[in-house]
Amino acid sequence: MGHAQTANPIDAMGVAARAAFVLAPLGLFVLVSWVLATKTLPVDLAWSWIPSLDIEWRFRIDGLGALMLLMITGIGTAVFVYAGGYLAGDPNQRRLFWMLVLFMVAMVGCVTADDLFVLFLFWEATSLTSFMLVGYSHARAESRKAAQQALMVTGTGGLALLAGFIVLAQATGTTRISDIVEIVPTLGETPALTTALGLLLVGAFTKSAQFPFHFWLPNAMAAPTPVSAYLHSATMVKLGVFLLARLDPAFGEWPSWEWTLKVVGSVTAAWGMVLALRERDLKRILAWSTVATLGTLVMLVGMRGEGAAIAVGALLLAHGLYKAPLFFVAGNIDHGTGTRVIDRLGDLRRQMPWTAAAALLAGASMAGMPLSFGFIVKDVILEAKTAVDVFTFAKAANTVFGSIAVAVAGVAAIRVFWLHPGENQRVEAHECGPALVGPPLLLALLGITLGLFPFYVQDLIALAGVAMIPGTEVPVLSLSLAPGPVLGSLAVTLAIGVVIYLLWDPLHQRFERIAARTGRIGMASQYERSLTWIPTFAAAVTRRVQDGRLPVYVGLVAASAAAAIVVAIAHLVASGAATWAAIEWPGLGFAGAAALVIAGALVAPFVRDRLVLLLAVGLVGFGSALLFVFAGAPDVAWTQFAVETVFVIVVAAVLLGLKRLGRGMGIAEPRFRPLALGVSVVLGAAVAALLMIATAGPFDMSLPDWFGRTSVPEAHGRNVVNVILVDFRALDTLGEIAVVMLSLMAALPLVAALRRRRAPAGDAR
Amino acid sequence: MNPRLVILDVVARPLYVVILLASLVVLLRGHNEPGGGFIAGLVAVSASVLWALAHGPAAAEARLPFRSPLILSAVGVALGAIAGLPALLLGDAFLTHLWGAIPLGFTEIEVSTVLVFDVGVYLCVWGALAGYALSLLEADLEAPAKDSPEARR
Repeated sequence: MGHAQTANPIDAMGVAARAAFVLAPLGLFVLVSWVLATKTLPVDLAWSWIPSLDIEWRFRIDGLGALMLLMITGIGTAVFVYAGGYLAGDPNQRRLFWMLVLFMVAMVGCVTADDLFVLFLFWEATSLTSFMLVGYSHARAESRKAAQQALMVTGTGGLALLAGFIVLAQATGTTRISDIVEIVPTLGETPALTTALGLLLVGAFTKSAQFPFHFWLPNAMAAPTPVSAYLHSATMVKLGVFLLARLDPAFGEWPSWEWTLKVVGSVTAAWGMVLALRERDLKRILAWSTVATLGTLVMLVGMRGEGAAIAVGALLLAHGLYKAPLFFVAGNIDHGTGTRVIDRLGDLRRQMPWTAAAALLAGASMAGMPLSFGFIVKDVILEAKTAVDVFTFAKAANTVFGSIAVAVAGVAAIRVFWLHPGENQRVEAHECGPALVGPPLLLALLGITLGLFPFYVQDLIALAGVAMIPGTEVPVLSLSLAPGPVLGSLAVTLAIGVVIYLLWDPLHQRFERIAARTGRIGMASQYERSLTWIPTFAAAVTRRVQDGRLPVYVGLVAASAAAAIVVAIAHLVASGAATWAAIEWPGLGFAGAAALVIAGALVAPFVRDRLVLLLAVGLVGFGSALLFVFAGAPDVAWTQFAVETVFVIVVAAVLLGLKRLGRGMGIAEPRFRPLALGVSVVLGAAVAALLMIATAGPFDMSLPDWFGRTSVPEAHGRNVVNVILVDFRALDTLGEIAVVMLSLMAALPLVAALRRRRAPAGDAR
Repeated sequence: MNPRLVILDVVARPLYVVILLASLVVLLRGHNEPGGGFIAGLVAVSASVLWALAHGPAAAEARLPFRSPLILSAVGVALGAIAGLPALLLGDAFLTHLWGAIPLGFTEIEVSTVLVFDVGVYLCVWGALAGYALSLLEADLEAPAKDSPEARR
């Protein structure tokens, strides 16, 4: 990485341009603050979008949305400032800023959407923009792979989410989220809702990197630091938690909801923290601790009671306020020393005093030290847990989580800044410019300030709680330093945390050995395997189904059609719904036409001469046209005549041109093909049976009657078929002729390519 | 190349005109009698194919309106869409058809957006299917000229 060593490198983007971009999140932040100050929540906005499906652009800012909005825009402002400094001089910086703006808009849409499908739209937009952001350094293979992985995992989850939304909308009869959360509790656990819940959970878990979809998040650290700080502290990965919190009032009373969230959240929290020990890269260590925090959040959403709802809001805020600065710190270390590997770092406080200060403040909040907002959150979480009956595993996971959080904070804030790196080499280091030091310091200081004066945010957090559990009271967030359960538990986690911190290196080696053995069955390698397996499988299927021989294509289509019809008929017969039409003797004309068809069909398989074959097939076509004449459908008959004529002429001309007609030019196919005979007999019998069943029932005449009645008075035409084509269903016809033209447009280059390929090589055939 | 069939050559010119006139009749009577744009388009295609057999696909293409099957069918689609526009000006839904009559004293001519639409269908089908038929004929007729047994000898 060739970072410029001067404090003021030559900018590809001017300072003014960067400042203009910073105005985007800052302006939104001011706007959100203004809304919060002047309006009573929730604030609703709506525009009509697809009225026939009852889908509207509905937006609602409630407490939870407002909390997320403040983080998205507030931390966003810090990220934009930081990105301006971090990537100064990068020729693609402008693109990064635009992607960040788009991502921010998508996030804002997600947290304010009050319609399932509007939410889904923005949800997918965050997946796509984060793909672009994670893959920002697209020249590096590692970063392309990470971006692809993030997109595949969250994109697959997005599909599950869409399916879940559709089922949910069908089950509740509305797409409006604020209505759904009121309707669902009145419906009880129906199979449809359970299905919807399962799909929604997959969507939320992939987005928030919950076990077993946790593996993509640390890999996404290939993104530039400002992107990691934004996506993986305050915004995108919180979306899954946000969605769960949104739906908490709907499903909160279900035991399956409660237990799934508690178990998955706890496992993710514990596992994420353990995996953090495996890493040597500061950013990846922070990424795993983010996974763990997301697990804790999911667990808290799953827990009942107001205390848990308050704890979700508080932890969302606290995590944003300490994780973003810690990511910035990791970025600054990378910027100042050229490495993020903790073995090669140490004693940086002299060269990077301001970064060290920011790391210390943010680390204190992460470790839950007294006087920080992290401490308040610990207090709230502990209260939530003592208030309700808690799964023992969750309690244990939380202790593990807390201890390792202390250790991670120690590594990020103390080890690299205060300790000597031992026998490892020391690296050159320098402090970064104000754009890189300001944002982490400011956010970390905010985390401490809120720790000292928590009542500034207690109303906001209470409003977030109200959004999850209506009627939540405003908690008194206080800085209590009195000896009590909180300090006691803090002492325990602190003690364990310090031990883990001191034993970091031996623990790391132990885990590396275990991981080397379990890596093959881990989720990351399952993902890799599926990536290679999918194209292999697709290629095998394609080779089997599309082998380039026309008889095989026709056979496959005919066989699957026959199978589908036979299954349908078997169903009808089994259910007793099938009645068979009585056999009537046809009139003379009808019988004659049918005889032509049958004669043509019987002759065709036995002739070898192509011209005779063509005429036999033509006989089938003209026979069917005659059938239409006697069945009272002159228009269809006429069309059939015209099509048959053109078909026979063109094919005959082509065959003549190819010199494929005449003596000794017969088809070299075996005369008897049992499989083909079987398929055609079954298909013919199945279609005949289907027609007999279909024509047995009473014919619904309402539509034909209506067309017959209205054709002349409303459409001034006596030919009902044509009136339907050009008037009643004119839009369909317009679409069809457009398709006909487009197909020609697609076919012309193909034919031209065929001619080009033949032209130079005279013996292509 | 195949020796030209003299009879085909001679009758192609009058037949071409007759078939196209017939297709126009089919098109215009379509609203009240069997017929319509789609069938009329197919009839017109057979005229083009006839010309291609007599004088070669390139000559048949040159005789098409606009001298290009793709443009012909595109014009057809455009006419179909245009036919729906007047209704929009009156505040009705797209493709709501309008009728009017031009009095000529002794009789009157009925005009309607339906006719415009049906002409669009006619041109689109003619262009597209003639495009398919002519390009296939062209591709397959020119290739054996080079590698047919006579050419190799």
